[in-house]
Amino acid sequence: MNAARRERSGTARTGQPVASTGYETVRRVLADCETKRSFGVVRVTGEPGGLIYLADGGVIAIETAGAPGADVVLLRSGRIRESEWTAAYAEAAAHGQLAAELTSRGLIGAAELEAVLRVALADAMFAVAGGLVEECALEQVAAHGSEDGQGPAGTGGEAPVLLPLSPPASPTWLLAETVRRLEVLARTPELVRHDRDRVTADPERPANTPLSRAQEELAGLANGRRTARDMAFVTGRGVYALSLELTRMNRAGLVAITSRRAIRPPADGTRKQAPAPKSQPAAEASQPPLPRRSNPGRQPRPGPAEIAPPPSSALHRLLKLFPAATDGDAEAGTGS
Amino acid sequence: MAGEALLAEMEALRDRVSGITDTALATRDGLLMKADTADVDPDNIAAMASAMLSVARTMAAEARRGSLQEATTRGSGGYIATYAVGATALLVVVGDTGLDLAQLYRESRATVENLRRLLGSTAGQASLAPAASLLAA
Repeated sequence: MNAARRERSGTARTGQPVASTGYETVRRVLADCETKRSFGVVRVTGEPGGLIYLADGGVIAIETAGAPGADVVLLRSGRIRESEWTAAYAEAAAHGQLAAELTSRGLIGAAELEAVLRVALADAMFAVAGGLVEECALEQVAAHGSEDGQGPAGTGGEAPVLLPLSPPASPTWLLAETVRRLEVLARTPELVRHDRDRVTADPERPANTPLSRAQEELAGLANGRRTARDMAFVTGRGVYALSLELTRMNRAGLVAITSRRAIRPPADGTRKQAPAPKSQPAAEASQPPLPRRSNPGRQPRPGPAEIAPPPSSALHRLLKLFPAATDGDAEAGTGS
Repeated sequence: MAGEALLAEMEALRDRVSGITDTALATRDGLLMKADTADVDPDNIAAMASAMLSVARTMAAEARRGSLQEATTRGSGGYIATYAVGATALLVVVGDTGLDLAQLYRESRATVENLRRLLGSTAGQASLAPAASLLAA
């Protein structure tokens, strides 16, 4: 295997080990908040980063660009119609009572809503703590007025959370679930990584391969530009679940990874560089260090990320352009 | 090749910011120059973005809110943000509901500046000739 085309270990075929994600940083901060029974918002800066809303030391909501929130899940999955949602929202959202409004209108049962919130929360924690973390700190501590722990976070003046989980989720539980998922992914060969691997459906897949409706939907979305995270926002399904589903489809030859999103490393530069574009193997050795996020006026990374071939190309031509995506890469391992 | 460099900038922005689904670079009056799109019609997007930017600039001035930074449309399915690129071009960014607009604004500053430099825009330059030559690139 040409050394210039070999990806650095840990970025090729399986998920990253837990230690190279932001997990430990997030765990430390949330453990501290849980002990102190904090109210407020933990701001995570990174990729994707996000906001973790706390009440009485427990998590009531997470906002992140890395995973769809409960509102997107409910709407995109079709569980609640947009017109019904809009009406409930108009009535209740400003007072932080949207959950009660949805259930009282019969749009969703309380138990089902709580389940949806819990699942979305776990997915969001996986996206945030399993991603890159540059900074993680409790940003606002509200006045200790919400003694019942039921109200929205930040009752010291910020906008209420749209759909707070009540009672709050233990950070210990959320983080344990994140670790479990990361460990599963670290053992999964031919993994379609949720935040960076873009997949294209194989137009020449065998005709006798039956696809479930869910797989048909994903194959239809696999246009070479979307990651599992992107598909999660379109379908309202979970990021982790889609990563595994696309991995199964990848192994079955129904889709292929045709490009990878370059993820910026954290500010301390301990993470290895993102892989060089496959089409420019000679450039890999000379790629300069990626810029610090906080430098104003910095130049963006030189060179494009991998460019996906036009969708009309037959898959075998695509795979010729990205040989490492198909070879049994001898260097594939779990180290980073 | 200047056209490839433009596209590279646009694709790099899509790489850096989660949630961007499509981008298009156009002249200020709505003529498409470069498209990194899949699900939207880039010619239509470019034309509409031109109109949006124009109205938004007038609105910002009328409401005395300073110079225009961004013209944004928010739908239940996501966002469209338009930025001026120098005096003669514009960049449209389409994103899903997970797009973080604040992050997009921060991350697009370098992109807009690099695009401006690549296009060779100078204040007051109205000619389409340099931009039109890139259409063939």
